[in-house]
Amino acid sequence: MKSPAISTEKRVGSEHLLAIKDLKVWFPVKSGVLQRTIGYVKAVDGVDLNVRKGETLGLVGESGSGKTTLARAILRLTKPTEGEVYFDGTNVLKVDRQQMRKLRRRMQIIFQDPYASLDPRQTVSSILREAMEIHRVSSNKYEVNRRSLGLLRKVGLDEEHLYRFPHEFSGGQRQRIAVARALVASPDFLILDEPTSFLDVSVQASVLNLLKDLQKDLDLTYLFITHNLAVVHHMSDRVGVMYLGKIVELAEKNSIYRNPKHPYTFQLMAAIPLPEPEARRKEVLLEGDVPSPVEIPPGCRFHPRCKYATEKCKKEEPILAGRNGHLVACLYEIDFSTEEVAGEFVNV
Amino acid sequence: MLGQSVDVRKGEWEARLADIKYMLHLFRKNPLVMTGTSTSLFFIILALLANIIVDPNLAYPEGYSNSMYPFERKYMWSADHIVNWGSGIALYQGSESFYLGTDGWGRDLLKMMVLAIPTDLYNATIITIVAAVFGTLLGAVAGYVGGIFDEAVLRITDVFFAFPGLVLALVFAAMFGRTIETLRLAIILVWWPPYVRLMRGQVLSEKEKPYVEALKALGAGHSRILLRHIMLNTIYPILVQATMDFGGVILTFSALMFLGFSPSPALPELGNLAADGYGHLFDAPWVMLFPGLTMLIISLAFNLLGDGLRDILDPRLRR
Amino acid sequence: MIDRENEEKTILEIRNLKVNFHTYRGEVKALNGVDLRLYSREVLALVGESGCGKSVTAQTLIGLLPENAHIIEGEIILKGEDILKKTKEEMRILRAEELATVFQDPMTFLNPVLTIGTQLREVFTLQKGLFVEALAIARTKGNLDFTELLNKQNSVFQTEIKPSRRETRKVVNSLCVGILRLVKLPDPERILKQYPFELSGGMRQRAMIAMALARRPSIFVADEITTALDVTIQAQILRLLKELRDKIDASTLMITHDLSVAAEVGNRIAVMYGGNVVEVASARTLFAEPLHPYTQMLLRAIPNIANPVERLESIPGTVPDMINPPPGCRFHPRCKYAMEKCAEERPKLKEVERGHEVACYLH
Repeated sequence: MKSPAISTEKRVGSEHLLAIKDLKVWFPVKSGVLQRTIGYVKAVDGVDLNVRKGETLGLVGESGSGKTTLARAILRLTKPTEGEVYFDGTNVLKVDRQQMRKLRRRMQIIFQDPYASLDPRQTVSSILREAMEIHRVSSNKYEVNRRSLGLLRKVGLDEEHLYRFPHEFSGGQRQRIAVARALVASPDFLILDEPTSFLDVSVQASVLNLLKDLQKDLDLTYLFITHNLAVVHHMSDRVGVMYLGKIVELAEKNSIYRNPKHPYTFQLMAAIPLPEPEARRKEVLLEGDVPSPVEIPPGCRFHPRCKYATEKCKKEEPILAGRNGHLVACLYEIDFSTEEVAGEFVNV
Repeated sequence: MLGQSVDVRKGEWEARLADIKYMLHLFRKNPLVMTGTSTSLFFIILALLANIIVDPNLAYPEGYSNSMYPFERKYMWSADHIVNWGSGIALYQGSESFYLGTDGWGRDLLKMMVLAIPTDLYNATIITIVAAVFGTLLGAVAGYVGGIFDEAVLRITDVFFAFPGLVLALVFAAMFGRTIETLRLAIILVWWPPYVRLMRGQVLSEKEKPYVEALKALGAGHSRILLRHIMLNTIYPILVQATMDFGGVILTFSALMFLGFSPSPALPELGNLAADGYGHLFDAPWVMLFPGLTMLIISLAFNLLGDGLRDILDPRLRR
Repeated sequence: MIDRENEEKTILEIRNLKVNFHTYRGEVKALNGVDLRLYSREVLALVGESGCGKSVTAQTLIGLLPENAHIIEGEIILKGEDILKKTKEEMRILRAEELATVFQDPMTFLNPVLTIGTQLREVFTLQKGLFVEALAIARTKGNLDFTELLNKQNSVFQTEIKPSRRETRKVVNSLCVGILRLVKLPDPERILKQYPFELSGGMRQRAMIAMALARRPSIFVADEITTALDVTIQAQILRLLKELRDKIDASTLMITHDLSVAAEVGNRIAVMYGGNVVEVASARTLFAEPLHPYTQMLLRAIPNIANPVERLESIPGTVPDMINPPPGCRFHPRCKYAMEKCAEERPKLKEVERGHEVACYLH
């Protein structure tokens, strides 16, 4: 029986709204009186990722994984060192300011901290009005009014909230305002950078429900970044796991949760505390700290913490590839139930 | 449905009004601040009405120009003038018609002080506003833009920091003559550096805040971000600093006048009046005492006002 | 996991604790009559969302409430005494000997200009009893294994021979190394020489736990200690806590907003809402049969990988305004089972089954 073909995330098709090719974001580390560059913080170190129209792609990782930097690089809030980002065919990194402004109408972001992502001196109506000004969406007073109300109602707020300041709202409500602001220009694509990390559980539930509803309603595509594996499981269609600036595993949600193929993914899954006191806990083997992207280990970047690491792992860097849409960056195929290395990963 | 909804802008004003009411409530709590505020207000009103209450002509003998500023003619000392002034009696101690006594030229000291207040306050206002605006804008742009421009601004500011006001005023007087304008300019040049530092620091920390990044993600341009957002959020410390500085500027201005930079010895100005009494400190101490005290009180009043402003503005910022 | 129900060994009892805060906008009625019992040798997880009062409860317990807080009513009985009646000095001694706290952000609670070693030594220097025991063991046995010292012995050791400086230093050093090994910090000798900023978040947290354990407290208060940590590091710390749980005599009050963390480490869980404890049960029982409507809705709001749903259940309404809280049961405006009684008087916590208490008129 012929095994299915091996694929990578390099191929870009028309179904992809966002295509990231070999993206690198390196921050120089300077030292000394003359400020010479002595090294780099390789926050994002070669990422290929495609997001299909209408899907929710979840991106998980711990601190130092580069997921936040990746989000910022896509929107050009941080300048990438290398690589390309295509949004609906246009190379985002190469357009001029005018065009970028137009692009920004279609790609927006919700930030993590609802307490700081809104200007504390602006009322809600002012925030929305300004967004409309920036995006050049409707200029006459009544249109602005109407649209503002419409947006507020869409996110579950109402007219009474228009004239209040951010500090008068709860965290969950502020995130809703942020969502309303992001929706002003009717975008196609939203990056959600840990949108519920600072929110209480019950509030998180309502915000996540809102996001799901909006996605269906407005035909949105999401890139959902979080460190919370339970949340990403709830929200996503596909999930990517990042470690030290690279994607180490990328697959359909159920595939990756039931059958993780990368040792790091497996450890992540094992580390999640479950809301079930009697659940059988897999032994957490991962020792040591989350490494920093200043000194990336040679070869496979996970090898210092990997219990299956071999000599080969220290020298050769695996590429992200796999079958049936389940991509892994590992030199071996490991069966975690038996903890055996089934064999070497045969690459293209 | 929509026809009944409130005009967006009007609703905003209501919101901001409520905000201000909250501020005023905090204000009223502190007795020291209230003293400072009322005293400052008193002096401001006095300054506005001074020329109506007291006839400005009393400051100058016959033959001199009625308007106080600009004052172009050089004053000439002459023994005759002393005799021909005011009530004609020099160094007269307090009586029913002179509440605070007379100064060296026989002018009613109280009336001279009242006339002096607008001079001081007006000049201090100009100096403070120009220095603050210039320094703030420069500091804001330097902090926001960073890089070489920032470095350059910092170095230039350092140079001006090093200047002692007195020396600069001396140089200016020597070069451009002793007028109020040159004096103002000299003080402005010495007074703007702290604002640069202050605003730059504020902007540096503010621009890292998430809402700035959010605005960038929206597509806002730099000028919008800097002017409408960052500066409005960081203006409070500047206001506080400027108010507290006001007292300091008055003191500096008066001090320079006292040291002899006055364009005319007859000019009603607190430092000038005090200078007049310096020579007679032991036989007519009131000539120097009262203008000096007034300077102190004004300065203290504005300082307390600034302090109060800081207290009410600060916790708000911590929302 | 065994359910510990040692009613005879109630080590801490909080009765009807009411605490208010004075603010410009009014009186914040943060704690509205908190009832809580902590048994010996157990881990009690105190869970709740923001504003429920769990941190305030802990602060009241350790005596570190802010200036504008007022204890209106209530008692906290520790070893037979109401500690709310103690003076500041007495509370300080209590904190040094009986109550150890570990906070969320170790960076702000460790002195940044002193090395870990210096800070640890300071703790040991203040623990005369521990030092004497350690000295005795070192002299008799030759080496020092910290695990023997984990729990206070009741017998008193006599030292006739005063230790020399060298001996003191050696003993204290072994104590430091020993305790760092206990919290699984690698290479303890090196860490002793390092400053807090040189350690990672997880390591700092372990160092703080070490410092707390060194005092051999009766009660160990852990206030959101894993919230700021990455998932894998959190897992390590939780595993450490579970290991220690069985070794030490102390009881732990673990405060967290994460029910999954509570499930992982807690023997019993107490759920707080709006300044009250609304339900207390063993971990297993709470998840299997939650009785209070809030607990039920909270559990359904958590995304659970093992039980995925299309929509999470969110709780209607918002968190209560603690300045003008709803009368009676503070949850009633959001509760679908609310009855008239609920708005009149607050239901008290009462035992419904063995070990399971609820504050609700439904039961």
